[in-house]
Amino acid sequence: MFFGRKNRKPIVIPPKPVKEWKYSTCNYCSTGCTIELGLDATGKVITSRGHAGADVNRGKLCIKGLQEHELFNSAGRGLDPLMRQRPQDDFQKVNWTQALDYSAEKIQAIQQQYGRDAFAVVSTGQLMTEEFYTLGKLTRGCIGTNNYDGNTTLCMASAVSGYKRTFGLDGPPGCYDDFEHTDCLMAFGSNLPEQHPVIYWRLKEARETRKFPLIVVDPRVTMFAQFADIHLPITPGTDCVLINSMLHVIFKEGLEDRAYLEANTNGLAELEELVKQYDPITAQHICGIDEDTIRQVARLYAKANTAMSIWTMGINQSTHGSDGVCNINNLNLCTGNIGKPGGTSLSITGQCNAMGTREWSSCSGLPGYRYLENEKDREDVAKFWGIDEEFFPKQRGMAQTDIFPAIENGDIKGMWLVATNPMTSMANTARIRKMLEKLDLLIVQDCYEDVETNQYAHVYFPASVWAEKQGCHTNTERRVNLTRSALAPPGNAKSDFWIFNQMAKRFPNGKLINFPDETEAVFDEMKALSKGKDRTLDISGMTYDKIEAAKGIQWPYREGTEGLKGEARLYSDGKFPTTNGKANLIAINFIDNNERPNEQYPFWLNSGRLVEHFHTRTRTGKIANGNKFSPTPFMEMNPDAAEKLGIKHQHYVRLVSRRGDAVVMVQLTQRVPPNMVFVPFHFHDCVNRLTLGLLDPYSRQPAFKQCAVQIEHVDQLEAAQLNKERRRF
Amino acid sequence: MSNDTVQIWETRTEEQPYAFLSDKESKDSNRYGQKINLREINPDWEEGQSMHINGNPEVGENPNRNKQHGFFFTADNCIGCHACEAACSEKNENPGHIAFRSVGYVEGGSFPNYQRMNISMACNHCDDPVCLKGCPTNAYTKHTEYGAVLQDPETCFGCGYCTWVCPYNAPQLDPIKGEVSKCNMCVDRLEVGLKPSCVSACLGNALDFGVIENIPENREEALTTIPGFPDPSITHPNIRFQQTKGMPEEVSRTDSSPVKYHRNEKGEYKPQVDQKNGLTKYWNLGRLSSRENPLVLFTLLSQMSIGAFAISLIASLTGISSFETFRNSNFYAPFAITTLLLIGFGMFMSTTHLGKPMRFYRGFNNLRYSPVCREGLGIAIFMAMLAFHILFSLPADSTFQYIFQAIFSTEITSLIAVDSAQRIASTFGCLALLGGASALYYMYRCYRIKARPFWNHWQAATDFGGNALTLGALLTSAFILTFYVSSGQAFNTALSLLGGVLVLGLALQGIGLKAHARDMNGKEHEGAVSHYIQLSTFGKTYLFRNLLLGSSLLAGIVLLLTGTGQLSSLFIWAGLGLAVLCSSLIGRALFYVLVVPTTMPGAFFWKNKGFEEHARDIGLANMPQAGIVTDKH
Repeated sequence: MFFGRKNRKPIVIPPKPVKEWKYSTCNYCSTGCTIELGLDATGKVITSRGHAGADVNRGKLCIKGLQEHELFNSAGRGLDPLMRQRPQDDFQKVNWTQALDYSAEKIQAIQQQYGRDAFAVVSTGQLMTEEFYTLGKLTRGCIGTNNYDGNTTLCMASAVSGYKRTFGLDGPPGCYDDFEHTDCLMAFGSNLPEQHPVIYWRLKEARETRKFPLIVVDPRVTMFAQFADIHLPITPGTDCVLINSMLHVIFKEGLEDRAYLEANTNGLAELEELVKQYDPITAQHICGIDEDTIRQVARLYAKANTAMSIWTMGINQSTHGSDGVCNINNLNLCTGNIGKPGGTSLSITGQCNAMGTREWSSCSGLPGYRYLENEKDREDVAKFWGIDEEFFPKQRGMAQTDIFPAIENGDIKGMWLVATNPMTSMANTARIRKMLEKLDLLIVQDCYEDVETNQYAHVYFPASVWAEKQGCHTNTERRVNLTRSALAPPGNAKSDFWIFNQMAKRFPNGKLINFPDETEAVFDEMKALSKGKDRTLDISGMTYDKIEAAKGIQWPYREGTEGLKGEARLYSDGKFPTTNGKANLIAINFIDNNERPNEQYPFWLNSGRLVEHFHTRTRTGKIANGNKFSPTPFMEMNPDAAEKLGIKHQHYVRLVSRRGDAVVMVQLTQRVPPNMVFVPFHFHDCVNRLTLGLLDPYSRQPAFKQCAVQIEHVDQLEAAQLNKERRRF
Repeated sequence: MSNDTVQIWETRTEEQPYAFLSDKESKDSNRYGQKINLREINPDWEEGQSMHINGNPEVGENPNRNKQHGFFFTADNCIGCHACEAACSEKNENPGHIAFRSVGYVEGGSFPNYQRMNISMACNHCDDPVCLKGCPTNAYTKHTEYGAVLQDPETCFGCGYCTWVCPYNAPQLDPIKGEVSKCNMCVDRLEVGLKPSCVSACLGNALDFGVIENIPENREEALTTIPGFPDPSITHPNIRFQQTKGMPEEVSRTDSSPVKYHRNEKGEYKPQVDQKNGLTKYWNLGRLSSRENPLVLFTLLSQMSIGAFAISLIASLTGISSFETFRNSNFYAPFAITTLLLIGFGMFMSTTHLGKPMRFYRGFNNLRYSPVCREGLGIAIFMAMLAFHILFSLPADSTFQYIFQAIFSTEITSLIAVDSAQRIASTFGCLALLGGASALYYMYRCYRIKARPFWNHWQAATDFGGNALTLGALLTSAFILTFYVSSGQAFNTALSLLGGVLVLGLALQGIGLKAHARDMNGKEHEGAVSHYIQLSTFGKTYLFRNLLLGSSLLAGIVLLLTGTGQLSSLFIWAGLGLAVLCSSLIGRALFYVLVVPTTMPGAFFWKNKGFEEHARDIGLANMPQAGIVTDKH
């Protein structure tokens, strides 16, 4: 045997001498995992671990979170503010005073010449809530432009819009704990194992011991689709037809919860009338799911004791995004599945603090789910901030996806982009480039100097990231969680919070409004604004210390609440924040306005996420142990379709749409149907060179996932070279 | 624990039950008959012995610490999220190009009835650790604690032999550091009762860990294999699987390896050729060059050297007069010195192949198990004995006698009589022969690797032996014929004999190749895949080499039959010799580039040889975050 060798070899394993663990919340997606950062004796972050006591992640982290602490030392960080006259010139290093003075003067000059709204601010879902609130104060209260939005328009605007239309208010009514109680889960365009692996794990834990049916609606055979009891490989963009047809079956067979509907909803008659047109026999030809399966799924869902729906970008990123959300809400209202443990409409959100920006940034109105259109809200906020209420516009301005075309029109002359990268993230890259070239002033604020949009910037503000600053995030289940500052930002980079505060000093109203120096003082302001019996978004009972002790608290959590638990679910009492307290059933008619495949462009182009990357790869593209799983873009294509075109596995092809072209490496797999290709959206100069991005009429969210392309052969050597050149990092 | 001690590993506050080891009881022995309580195998092990992890004298409190542990993988559940890999790389602080654990997948079916099965694999801490047995430096230890097979990078000299013999691709050779490292089972976590970090990180509830043969809670079976997993009989790996979901009858790999897995009548998935590159035959001469080039030279030169020396010594000792004359001539010493230089150069090449060549002396540390050690020892003996043989052959050499006289002003014979010197030289020569024979034998044993079915065939013996004969005959004839031609003596006996040996060597190689092709073709292992690559990617090169070999053999026989006395026949022999050299070089290069190990399936980018090669070609590998490094060798 091999044992008992006298001279044992030494066993060396990296020891990780952690002196202090710092509390934080993951800065990638909206799952809201708690992470502890391990600092050594010199205060250097040397490791991290999931917090085992946090209810959300219970010690687990996904690939991105496990390696997130490596970000602090990643390449491409901005260390100094930069300025230049024209994007063609080289950047000059400047100090903060120069950068801020110049920017403030230039903003005000543009506003004086072209009007206050000629300067736009587009932010993100990545900042701390306190920063969002401060940016809202700055933009609404000091700069005074009405063209102010977040990139959350690209990911969850449809969910917001759908929630508002049905329930009268934004905010997901359910929570992860619903997995423990549900008897049927239906996922629409949501690939949890890839997009939200930790939420998937929570679901898997629930299913380990208690089997309940899982239905997955997805045009691709994702891992989630593979694990489903029933997979519905739907025709892109036709979810409304499927749901209408399910409702048709439910009403026809009397499976609806009529008592609940009559007591708690408006618009039942209209809905019933409309879905009569969507009998499964007709619907099957539109949505691609056969009539028997539609009936089976409808019955299964309606007869389950409790049933819940989750959805992500498969619904949100379509021309029927807001409608799709309303229709999922219809389905759950009709089956009596709102506000019940295990019965809910749960939007699985994208960015870590998409919820925070929805709640507090004032993008779509005023802080704390207040509306510009509402006189009382304008009055209250103006008074609270100490400014004239006439300074506020009386109606919400443009969304991000309308702000950019307004540059084409000449209505927008200057823009401030905060932690967002439209050069990679917005549809039709070529059009976005032309727009950015036209700006008189583009300020880019980002923690990475090499963020692609910086190519067009006049001014660059180097920002800090994640635990280089302090503040809160709100996750998908309305849980407010905290990040404590663990280290200083590199070089002269500053927290976004500091940058906003300094900018405010350079505007007249900045001298009237109080901009506290500490984030918790800002949190106290938000708490004060959240108070009110009828407010669901009530955080007045929270403090930083309480949040840390509870490892996150769900709102509403009112002042004086005993214990550390907020309310797990909304609308459990059947009361909704609409004018008459009832939820609105909204009849959704299907309009087919997508660019569909034809003879010239024979393939559907679908896009989506990879587990190892986040958004435009500005961060994850730098981390070898994640990036190596997909260092360059690729395209999933069906081998049968490829054979007809003579396309080979692991070869490059050129994809062409009516907007542009992209070079990708082919991955042949039966995961996609023969008339569809799938390309991840993370890569610069790739899928969004092709996408159309028709806008949802309510949410203004682009339909990234539906357009048509053709596939052409390319010279392999040139394609490889181009592919490499487009991957700067 | 007292205050002045350092914990072996810090358990998280409010740690969850999933992270803790939970084996209440265990079986007596595993399915292969091996005792699970390793103390029963290793009675020397003392209770309370510390593992001295990072020099820490603390002793773990784990009650099962002397039992064989292993991974449990529920293949039905893996979502391919890479959390296990990320947790492992974070814990072990590995750079992108090194991974103790990797996830690949097999897929099958057709849309929408499509299935992908992800496989997460690290070290299986085998009952029969072939890595440990193969390692010449003794860097591996199988510990009585947990049955962990641990490797010490500080001992390793980076020969990479463990990466050849492991069927699961567990040892990782770092071309930058020039050393191997591997999964350490997170023994630091085990000591405090925690499962390894990959297991604790799993988000699909696929990966688990515990005392081997124990089935985790809520799981129902413990299989030894799943589609894509190599034959467990090779090493008796300590991993068990659950796979209750049915898979399509055939599953394929997305990486460039032309392997797929087909379900046979017994329901087992066996490797088969996946004709990814079609059946067109190519030359691909450039791709014959690989990181194993030094080994091509080393093996060929050492075989040539040993073969040449053996032919000449045996022929002269058995009284073949033309060889006796040659041995007594002043051409013999240069010949013997050349054989020594050639094998010396071969050894040098083989040393440069090491990640840490300065540690070459560690190559004899594992004579008990490693064929690499024994091969090295055989060659060392051969070289040492050959050197003494040369030393004692010198007194008979007239040139040497002249030089000695010139320097020392005395006859060499005053020191030792030519006859006795020759007798001593013969004795050393015989000892060298023994060393050489064992070197050749263990060189052959080195390639009888079960995880490399293309090599694991007796053809390796006919190839090495055949080359020793052909190349040995060529080298010998170069000297002996020069001697005879320059001295104007008849050379036909020598030529006939050497020609005969050459033909014999070629015939041996031919027979081996024929049988090898027959045995590889269509077999249910990766050897068939290698053979497919041989017939397609290198199809023309392979044919050309066989043509060279066949025609040389034929020409040799014809020449032998038609007589070999004329000077003109020498030119034909010379041409034939060139063809033989060429055939040997191509053949040996093919031997190295064709082998397909029984490794785990890769993914589209990660662990995909085709993509790695492409990334190096286009320069993507120059970005550290691509996780691919350029080969330094």
